Amino acid sequence: MTLGQLASKNRMGLLFMLPSLSLLVVFFLFPLTQVLYMSFQDWNVMGSSTWEGINNYIKALGSGEFWLSLWNTFIYTVIVTPLIFVPAILLAVMLKKTTFRTEVMRVVIFIPFTISFVSASYIWSWIYNDTYGILNFLLSKIDLISRPVNWLGETWRARVMISIMVAWKTLGFSMLIFISGLQSISQEIYEAADIDGASRIQTLFLITIPILRPTIFLALVISIAGSFKAFDQFFIMTNGGPMRTTQTIVMYINKIAFENYDMGTGSAVSVLFLILLLSISYQQIRMGGYTGE
Amino acid sequence: MNKRHSFYKLLIALPALLLSLLFLAPIAWSLISSIKHTADILKYPPILFPKNITLEQYIKLFRAGDGVFLLFIRNTIIMTTFTISLVLIISVLASYAFVSLPFKGSNFIFILILSIFMVPFQALLIPLYSILNKLRLLDTKVGMVLVYSTFFMPFCIFMFRNYFSGIPVSIRESARLDGASELTILLKFYLPLSLPAVATIVVYLFLETWNDFVLSLIFSSSNNVKNIQVGIMNFGRQRFQSDWGIINSGSIFSLLPTIIIFLMLQKYYIQGMTAGASKE
Repeated sequence: MTLGQLASKNRMGLLFMLPSLSLLVVFFLFPLTQVLYMSFQDWNVMGSSTWEGINNYIKALGSGEFWLSLWNTFIYTVIVTPLIFVPAILLAVMLKKTTFRTEVMRVVIFIPFTISFVSASYIWSWIYNDTYGILNFLLSKIDLISRPVNWLGETWRARVMISIMVAWKTLGFSMLIFISGLQSISQEIYEAADIDGASRIQTLFLITIPILRPTIFLALVISIAGSFKAFDQFFIMTNGGPMRTTQTIVMYINKIAFENYDMGTGSAVSVLFLILLLSISYQQIRMGGYTGE
Repeated sequence: MNKRHSFYKLLIALPALLLSLLFLAPIAWSLISSIKHTADILKYPPILFPKNITLEQYIKLFRAGDGVFLLFIRNTIIMTTFTISLVLIISVLASYAFVSLPFKGSNFIFILILSIFMVPFQALLIPLYSILNKLRLLDTKVGMVLVYSTFFMPFCIFMFRNYFSGIPVSIRESARLDGASELTILLKFYLPLSLPAVATIVVYLFLETWNDFVLSLIFSSSNNVKNIQVGIMNFGRQRFQSDWGIINSGSIFSLLPTIIIFLMLQKYYIQGMTAGASKE
């Protein structure tokens, strides 16, 4: 290949990349530097700005609402993660063999993953409804509750009930990841364990879960990062109430930036949020894994 | 013995079967609620199996606010179609270049594109808002499509690049010797061999765009741009009593297309989504 041909091949390669490269620069790299820059500025309504130094960060870190939102997001992550993972692992073990029946069941369990958080939140708000909800009706039918419960009106209850909705919606995804992990485990190991007389529970905890550990860890990182980004379900099911105790960090950014128009502090919180998320995602890069969620 | 065996099989299958039905129950309850008469929806104890079913709630949904919901659906279909087309075109082109037209620094560009995935767009809402505003693309469908494309393209480029690297080099070398242009090689050899990846990506992009809420909520304010999810939320946030008939019919209307598309292409989608995770 001559030098001229090589140069034209390089040009062609760059030409092919140009559309995605432009999007990368305009809507990703530029905003990324911009959010950092804006976090050191004070922006007023007229669009002009003044240098603020680290004042926005001091303001953000000194605000009780920032810490409350961070805490709410953290607590939600702690509640929702086991609610997703325990059933997902159990279902994966149950459905790992590929037959017509298990394939149908996998698809059925995955269906909630395909619907929007908005629809899912409304569907479950209707189930949880304190006056007309079917949950109160069913629970009172079997005498578990004596009078209607306001499921989304109290902080801890709301956190748990929203987490149940999210587990229902997303565990199908984790389950599929585990199934593909399980299917890569050689059958001989199980046969050997069977010969040694291992029980099913022993096999699960001593063989399956240890071998699956990298897959579980990767799915955990993806799921935790997702929980920290929570917005839709809280925005719709509680709108942050009662008393902002279910307001997540992204809701807080949305509120100070687009309701109070404090772009400087909003940017500072965004940068802090970014650093937090990158330190979680860094684990994902280290594992070399990559998926769509 | 055979009889006992199948009885045992049924016994194992039963809890699993019930469990999977449990996953559909919330959707089923919303569907049932959406075909009740308005007076029947707000009844307690709830009517589990309504005798009189009606499309009243759906008619209400489409009539509300001079048919604004139809407009939201139209916006969403337009934005979803354009996002899918744009991302497919640009990610196929870029992935082909990464695989068969690499140059010094192209790998770095690839890593930069993948890094979009590590940075949550939720942290970039403020600068994106101000850039869209400067480009006069705020509250426009074009602006929405460009933002969607940016944040949804890394997965697609990653996927196509993987697929393309699996295609033997000899194919493009002999095609080049025959004088085929790079675009011809891509369209005649690479793309037809990657149809499963196309199917995965179409479902992925459809779900992401159709189900988007936060981007549409923040970057669109007029009824000509808002998507279906924001539309449902607008119905849900009525000042007085929430109209659960409209909310349920709207939710069902929003989830039907996503479930249908998923079921049509589920084989490719599930394969594609899990392939990246189980590399370990």
